[in-house]
Amino acid sequence: MTPKMVGIVLISHSASLAAGAAELVGQIAGGARVVPAGGTDDGRLGTSTDLILAAIAEADQGAGVLLLPDLGSSVISARMVLAGSDHAPAVAQVAIADAPFVEGAVAAGVAASVGADLAAVTQAAEEARDVRKL
Amino acid sequence: MSASSEPAMPVEQVVVLPKHLHARPAGQVAQAAARYPDTTIELSNDHRTANARSILAVMGLGAVTGDQIRVRAAGADPAGASAAVAAILTAAEE
Repeated sequence: MTPKMVGIVLISHSASLAAGAAELVGQIAGGARVVPAGGTDDGRLGTSTDLILAAIAEADQGAGVLLLPDLGSSVISARMVLAGSDHAPAVAQVAIADAPFVEGAVAAGVAASVGADLAAVTQAAEEARDVRKL
Repeated sequence: MSASSEPAMPVEQVVVLPKHLHARPAGQVAQAAARYPDTTIELSNDHRTANARSILAVMGLGAVTGDQIRVRAAGADPAGASAAVAAILTAAEE
């Protein structure tokens, strides 16, 4: 059996914030496929549904993809992609997590790395809302 | 582990951390715990108790070098799960 893991797309206004969060998750949750989708098509601050769609395609391994937006138009863009009002993603299963960006990404990454399904990876991300760090 | 009609006895052990409970070992603990889906594993210190499957809860213990961590495992394979988690907690700094 080929292990298929849920892919994760990190959506931020900032390309470097998304890339840095993806790097961090990669270090902590080895094996998870985490793809950043930050900034606009031409590298400015903002979000891009085209970049998000490309990241979904890259993150997809056949077990679904979780979108984790940071805030503001990241959330709007993620919801547009999910609703297919912009372009419908080719991936069958795409979900969006309502979670803190870094903590949610780390928790989702660990869950994905051990083969949890899309619902469980989403839940792991959303549990991050309630976990105290102090 | 094969299913048994007799539930395994819960296992409890205390380990002393040789290093701070950083993000990476916390992630390793959560990954190891996930390999025992039918076993509940809890870590606790003086402050709080964490489900070992939650990396954020494990980091939230705020455990540092020299702290005692109580590892409790119950369910299908408490001995294996407890040993796996304890091995990560007591591994030397990378």
